[in-house]
Amino acid sequence: MAKLVFPANFLVLILLGVPMLLMARYSLNEYDPLYLMKEAFTFENYARAVVDTYYQKILLTTIVVALSCTVLTTLLAYGPAYWLARMESSWKSKLTILTMFPLLVGGVVRSAGYIALLSTDGLINASLQGLGIISKPLQLLYTPGAVIFATVGIVLPYMILTLASVIESIPRQVEDAGANLGAHPATVFYRILLPLSLPGLLAGASLVFILCMNAYATPLLIGGPQFQMMAPVVYEQFARTSNWPFGAALAFILLIFTIVLTTAGSYMISKKYTGD
Amino acid sequence: MTTISRRAFLASAAAASASTLFPTSLLAASKDLVVGTWGGTFGDLLKENVDKPILTPAGYNVLQEISGPVPRRTKLISERLQRKGSMDAALLADFDMHAAAKVGALYELDTSNVPNTANILPFLKKKNSVPLIYSAHAIVYRKDLIKTPPASIAELWNPKYKGKIGLSDFLYTTNMAYAAVGNGGKLTDMDAAKKGVEAWKELDVKLLPSTEAVGNALASGDIWMTIISAARGYSWNKKGTDLGWVVSEEGAFPAVYEAAVPKNARNPEAGFAYMNALLTPSAQKAFAERLGYLPTVSNGSISPELEKQIGFTEAEQNRLWIPDLDFIMENQSSMLDTWNRVLKG
Repeated sequence: MAKLVFPANFLVLILLGVPMLLMARYSLNEYDPLYLMKEAFTFENYARAVVDTYYQKILLTTIVVALSCTVLTTLLAYGPAYWLARMESSWKSKLTILTMFPLLVGGVVRSAGYIALLSTDGLINASLQGLGIISKPLQLLYTPGAVIFATVGIVLPYMILTLASVIESIPRQVEDAGANLGAHPATVFYRILLPLSLPGLLAGASLVFILCMNAYATPLLIGGPQFQMMAPVVYEQFARTSNWPFGAALAFILLIFTIVLTTAGSYMISKKYTGD
Repeated sequence: MTTISRRAFLASAAAASASTLFPTSLLAASKDLVVGTWGGTFGDLLKENVDKPILTPAGYNVLQEISGPVPRRTKLISERLQRKGSMDAALLADFDMHAAAKVGALYELDTSNVPNTANILPFLKKKNSVPLIYSAHAIVYRKDLIKTPPASIAELWNPKYKGKIGLSDFLYTTNMAYAAVGNGGKLTDMDAAKKGVEAWKELDVKLLPSTEAVGNALASGDIWMTIISAARGYSWNKKGTDLGWVVSEEGAFPAVYEAAVPKNARNPEAGFAYMNALLTPSAQKAFAERLGYLPTVSNGSISPELEKQIGFTEAEQNRLWIPDLDFIMENQSSMLDTWNRVLKG
């Protein structure tokens, strides 16, 4: 039976493991403006990224945006996910497909849509000016709020679908039993539904958090050049200065923080609600 | 200096070129010609005025490999130790091409392999590349909003334009050169450049993510003044924005785009034919009319009306700076670092 996983593992090893090993090696090299890099074995790139307050700030911004998006997405997704999971009409499959629909459109295209919505001559500003509510356009685009708004819009379907599939597997009778015994709906949610849907919540939150930590197109297009998050900064090191060693080190720092924060978050939430 | 080992370089090159190596090798035939270039309007212009009228009739099958300039430069440098590279011709800005030439990745070009090099304007002649188009990164401004043309570079730091100056994030090299000269230094004075960028921050300069964003900001009146190629000023003017441009009293940064043939081109003859085609008067005229960039050859005549709109006077031409390309190559990473820290930190 174990042999069956070999092809998949082999593919992962080749397509993910080997490039990552190569990047790990590059991260220990030294940058050279003429030859791109010099062979070395130094942790200087990591030290520079960790000690430098400029990169600390970018990492912090990334974490704050990712956490904010995860919390907002969870709050916004739980209701629709519950509603979708408990739906029994023929609309259920149609609404599920509709929820998935935004995922069929690429992130760049969706970001272009948000630009049309949020820019100074975009739909929101034009409407507000047309109604006489504002005289000068509001600066909506190229702000942290716009990045969070657009990112939540992009990751929301992941959370709704993950949560809905788990809530669907929770027997409705357990909620009814709680209500029959006199529990307030809020108590039913907090004491029964939330702990039982925790696996879906953790899976969805982890997925959303990872996507947000590594968001590239949205911060770049919606945040503008002055809003800095890690993925665009990593790309910048490769694509604008050819500094592969430092870019690789930044990429690994992002990877490490994403893994550590996702694991720690899942562990803490799981501990709080299940005591495991 | 310990440079990277051959093995590591091969690994690096393999990673850098993986996406193009395989398609190229599959497609490669004796008359295939792979051109590393920008896409969009520029790529279309090459297809319409170089590929279709000149190279296709000569039997070449031109394939555009579209990417950003730095990845293209990286490919030229990292692939140079491979027997066969992924491009037969590569197009880059002069300072990016300089790095590729410096590591010996490019063929020498002269009249023996590219006959039209005989017509290249003397000040644009290079050993390993041919100039495709040129203009200057000048001060471009809204004529209807700024009545007196900003003759001096100091106008870029005039407090009366607070919040109305916009800069392209992509043109940080040019912008920092302006900041250096505008703050009492030479082109290579990075302390003066930093001072200038800090002063821009104080003036709430708008940092714009792309050239198109600069054009839109000028059109909407979000910004009144920027540093961008006069050619862009010309093309946006044609689209209806009332723009003027000046080569300041202190000078301007030249914008030169070049083409070259990698030494490991699969089909170097095709690469040379492409270089020659780029320098033909008809192609040069099309670049001028559509993009507003000036011809780089003495026989690339354009109409006097167009010359008046996109050209530079002799005095302006003489004021164009001569950038130290070695300095730019050595310091580009730290220039971007300073630019980012001051304006984005």
